[in-house]
Amino acid sequence: MADVSFLFGQFLGGLTTAMFLFLIASGLSLVFGVMRVLNFAHGSFYMIGAYLAWQVAQWLGPMLHSFWLAALAAALGVALLGGLLERLLLRHIYGREELYQLLLTYALVLILGDAAKAIWGTHQLSVSRPPGLAGGIEMLGITLPVYNLFIMLIGAAIAVAGWLVLTRSPSGRMMRAAALDREMLGALGANVGVLYTGMFVISSFLAGLSGALVTPIQSIVPGMDVEIIVEAFIVVVIGGLGSFWGTFWGSVIYGQVLSFGILVLPGFSLFSVFALMAVILIVRPWGLFGRPLR
Amino acid sequence: MAPWRVLLAIAAASLVPVAAAAEDTIKIGFPMPLSGPASVYGVPVAKGAEMAVQEINAKGGVLGRKLELLTRDSKASADEAVRLARELIIKDNVDFLVGTLTSAEAPAVSTIAKENKIVFLAPTSKTVQLVSPANLHPYIFRLASNTDIEGRTGASIIAGWKDVKRVATIAPDYAYGRDAVGAFVDFIKKARPDIEIVDQQWPKLGQSDFTPFITAQMAKKPDAVFCDVYGGDFVTFAKQAAPLGYFKAINNRLVDGGEVGTTDEAQALGKDYPYGIWSDAYDPVIWPENEPAAHKTYIEHLKAFTKEKYGSGWAIMGYASILALTEGIKKAGSTKSDKVAKAMLGLPFDTPIGRLTFNAKTHETEMGEFWGQMVKDDRYPFAVMKNPKFLSQGPFTQ
Repeated sequence: MADVSFLFGQFLGGLTTAMFLFLIASGLSLVFGVMRVLNFAHGSFYMIGAYLAWQVAQWLGPMLHSFWLAALAAALGVALLGGLLERLLLRHIYGREELYQLLLTYALVLILGDAAKAIWGTHQLSVSRPPGLAGGIEMLGITLPVYNLFIMLIGAAIAVAGWLVLTRSPSGRMMRAAALDREMLGALGANVGVLYTGMFVISSFLAGLSGALVTPIQSIVPGMDVEIIVEAFIVVVIGGLGSFWGTFWGSVIYGQVLSFGILVLPGFSLFSVFALMAVILIVRPWGLFGRPLR
Repeated sequence: MAPWRVLLAIAAASLVPVAAAAEDTIKIGFPMPLSGPASVYGVPVAKGAEMAVQEINAKGGVLGRKLELLTRDSKASADEAVRLARELIIKDNVDFLVGTLTSAEAPAVSTIAKENKIVFLAPTSKTVQLVSPANLHPYIFRLASNTDIEGRTGASIIAGWKDVKRVATIAPDYAYGRDAVGAFVDFIKKARPDIEIVDQQWPKLGQSDFTPFITAQMAKKPDAVFCDVYGGDFVTFAKQAAPLGYFKAINNRLVDGGEVGTTDEAQALGKDYPYGIWSDAYDPVIWPENEPAAHKTYIEHLKAFTKEKYGSGWAIMGYASILALTEGIKKAGSTKSDKVAKAMLGLPFDTPIGRLTFNAKTHETEMGEFWGQMVKDDRYPFAVMKNPKFLSQGPFTQ
């Protein structure tokens, strides 16, 4: 049981789960952290990204690098969609009660879900792994699929890039200022409207990208939007609402608890994760890396 | 005539036949998941039922009356299916209920059918609970196979692999998966006392990442696996398991009882399908050798009706349900649920996949499924079932 290579394999399995979740949750966390908007439709953007990637890959056919072009096109397409929706709808509810945000973004979940059904039908779709990342590598007696390794690297890269932008760049300073006091920032002459649209476009880009990047290892089916948003919210809540690093560590903890939880309690895979969330919410209601709300 | 009079006349003319037709039709309420993950199967089942209704109506209907299908989206939720069933009975005055997809919906709707004394035929729900002695009532009928038959048949296949000693299971954590795996374990222990169950994994339905479950199972080094992961979940599972070397480690000795042997999964996975595994299908759709003539005709109709290149293996369940109900109405000579329910006991009916009979005691057809190894076939860009074999009970009951 306590075989080292097995435990290492379980750890890597958990890390794969974690990085997939982080890809999707990072955009959700960013928008909440800066804009204080709980975007329920984030999962729908992810789903649209997956469908778009499939669609573009179909159009391109067996062309070389078609997967990468499809993923990029999907992410850009979703970014554009996100930007449009922010300009047309979301900007009217900033600063209002959370209930309005919930209603609006939930309405978007339903609309986008039905739109995807109308366009792509209810068939399950799938995209093959891109050539070059199809195999696996041997490490300490276990096999790690190259694609999983690639996802881990992307996850880490997004974490580092997000952190650098937020803490070291002028626009990051603006974002942090907007999170603290939007009106004061506006009064100081900053264009808060453009900043918010930009934030939302980046978040949508991340959602679309993660949707496109999961297609080689997941099926594209109706309902994948709702399935993922629940898990993404768990991760964001564990880490602390609005904390970028919190979301990263929340994902890592979620993956490891799931991975090792099924060894301890094999019949209760869901239990371990929800128990973790309950414990964290009791001990630190603001999450691991969040700040207590005033 | 003044324009408004013309309009009025048109309106009156168009109203009358509609009203008359509505009175004359035999109404069948059909709650079925048409959105969400379960719609992958719900939509083809509904299409099959629509096609059967169209064919029967083209031949003049039943007892001189046309059939009318009232399809509603149950969203695969027991609550929603119950609400729809009530609404269909009270507001739409349906004569019968056919439908629901999952093992969560069907038992819930069955209680409504019992309350309202209206025949309810479940096309696909597999849980043994649906018609267990405690839940059986005169109006409930099942077309589908059940979890006992599925687990038993899966066990009979694995039991035939003499060198297999270590068996693992993986199935979604709800009624269907638990019941089927329970039956599998019971039967394999009887058939092969030398086999050990070395691992059991229970991912949730709609699991997005199976990796930890797969690595945990591989560490127990099974020789063969009984799997009940199905639908979109199976696509996800297969794509994540293959690069981990899962199928190679068990020599492709995986038996999946969740109908992943249909064209639906095969098409979705394409060349990523784990060739060599064993699975089942209600309708293999593509039947390379010895295809029955009735099946050939049916598939031609289905392809034309759905405008699909190959057709779905799930449409047969909706199609055959309507045929079965129609036979019941014919035999009863009435659309009264009391009479139809009695007529359906022991009733045989012909379907494109062969003759089925409702067992008078259990109210189900106790049908088997087509099982076989999934192999490459150069004529198709996806896996097909090699020599589909209709296994109905497994060798243990004979």
